Amino acid sequence: MTLSEFYSSLGESLDEVLERLRMESRVAKYLGLFLNDPSFNELKAAFAANDAKTAFRAAHTLKGVAANLGLNKLSASSSELTEDLRPEAFTANSQALLEKVEADYVAAVAGIKQLA
Amino acid sequence: MDEKRPLILIVDDVAMNRALLSDVLSDKYNIIEAENGNEALLLLRERTSEISLVLLDMVMPEKDGMEVLAIMNKNGWINEIPVIMISGETAHALIEGAYMLGVTDFIGRPFDEMVLKNRVNNTIRLYKKQKSLSDLVLNQIYEKTRNNSMMVTMLSHIVEFRNGESGMHVLHINTITEMLLRELLHRTKKYTINKNDIGVICTASSMHDIGKITIPDEILNKPGKLTPEEFNIMKGHTVNCAQMLNAVPVGKDEPLMKYAYEICRWHHERWDGRGYPDGLKGDEIPIAAQIVSIADVYDALTSERCYKHAFTHEKALEMIHNNECGVFNPLLIECLDAIADKLVISLQTFDWSKQADKDFFYIADAMMNDQKHPIYNQAFRQFIDERKKSHFFETTLDGILFEYTFNPAVMKLTTKAATKLGLPRTIVDDYKPGDDTHGAAENLEKIKKILKRHSAPKDKPFLIKQTFNIDGKSTPCNVKVLQIWAKGQNEAPVLASVYGHIDVIH
Repeated sequence: MTLSEFYSSLGESLDEVLERLRMESRVAKYLGLFLNDPSFNELKAAFAANDAKTAFRAAHTLKGVAANLGLNKLSASSSELTEDLRPEAFTANSQALLEKVEADYVAAVAGIKQLA
Repeated sequence: MDEKRPLILIVDDVAMNRALLSDVLSDKYNIIEAENGNEALLLLRERTSEISLVLLDMVMPEKDGMEVLAIMNKNGWINEIPVIMISGETAHALIEGAYMLGVTDFIGRPFDEMVLKNRVNNTIRLYKKQKSLSDLVLNQIYEKTRNNSMMVTMLSHIVEFRNGESGMHVLHINTITEMLLRELLHRTKKYTINKNDIGVICTASSMHDIGKITIPDEILNKPGKLTPEEFNIMKGHTVNCAQMLNAVPVGKDEPLMKYAYEICRWHHERWDGRGYPDGLKGDEIPIAAQIVSIADVYDALTSERCYKHAFTHEKALEMIHNNECGVFNPLLIECLDAIADKLVISLQTFDWSKQADKDFFYIADAMMNDQKHPIYNQAFRQFIDERKKSHFFETTLDGILFEYTFNPAVMKLTTKAATKLGLPRTIVDDYKPGDDTHGAAENLEKIKKILKRHSAPKDKPFLIKQTFNIDGKSTPCNVKVLQIWAKGQNEAPVLASVYGHIDVIH
């Protein structure tokens, strides 16, 4: 899969990312690094440990990282979760919002792994 | 010459974010990274004057971006180091909070590489301009202060020379006045002077005897004792000076003028009211004049004059204690006793250029702490701090240390070195040890040999093995020596000073 196909498959746009980051090689490099970014796992672990403060921070980070890489759906769902967790307490919505983030994250990661 | 690449500190807890920023900026800038607020603060503390810009994330573990900003405000760093906050944060109140804490700019995520580069570039350029302006101001003040203090010194020397004195008198009065003032401020808050007055009082002290230009030569330089009539004329130098200063058309409300007037007119008054010209008593005599009068008497006693030989430091103190030169404020006598040992050293090693620098430090220090128009200059502030630090270490270090400067030729030893080697703490070049009970002469010769050692100019310390006579025994030691070479323009480097650490081999 090419970079352009990857973004299309997620319903995103490579052009938009290139406008900001200039180089395809750079975009590819940081997508690769994204696989090693611990934020998502930290988010899951924080939910499991009932630690809303850490969950907020992880969601916030995920939102920023995803936005930089043009993974706008993941960034949007992370953003919703971030706002939900801002008071540093879980709400009735938190779990559902996490599931949305997870779906977006899994889709992005699956795509990145298929990049040539 | 290539200009140095500015240094940017990137603070973000996410490795990927740091890598991306560094990737974008590293072609034009040097980058250091911190993973959290605490690390960032450590780097800021260590490299304050090197860092040109901070890119700061908002949400981080340990200390977050807002806490870092708060501390940068507390330490004044925010005035000199621009901060651009980069965050995915969209909460209006938080972003506004960051601006209120002094960030120059806020860049949201996702950021545009081109915009980021330009904002970074512009911010660094603006701050550089501001810094070079503040350097310019400091340099000009430095020049001006040097010239001012040189002028005052020259004018007062002219008076001294006519008086047949060496010209050192004014400089000594300056030093003694400063030390007494500091000691006094340390002991009491009773008087309405503060730290910022020290510089101006010292300058004013230089003028204490300018009234003597009104005294005829034959009285001023008469070798023998003055007749009562002549002495009366001589006493007139106080009132005459006060009149001269009153006639000066400018500076009526300036502190310098006020202190100069007090000092000129009343530096011959005495605590018991038996001085002249007005017979003031106790604290009716302004404190600046009281201080200069005791400084004047001490220096007159310990110097040779056309009508007397020089007394020793100890004898002079004894005479002051016994009221042989009139009665002084008991509190000031306590101060004099407290500074007595330091005073001898300061007077022996007096260096005019240091004096001028000192005046500059007073003004610069005051300016940088000025509430209304503070000057920000981190490099300078660090320099002042370094001076204080090395001074502190010098006074607390418990080692056998010596330092030698070639111009003036003076060797100084730490207390421990002086005790162990049987030498005085300060040694001027023509010093000869007395009774050689502790091998002092032998030790001094050995140190002199080390000083004369020729080596290529380099700023790295080297090690020499040497035995010294310590506690009457020949003791093998390692001596670590650092030579400081002054490099003049187009001239061969000259050895300026030597520092040594003597370490007994056990």
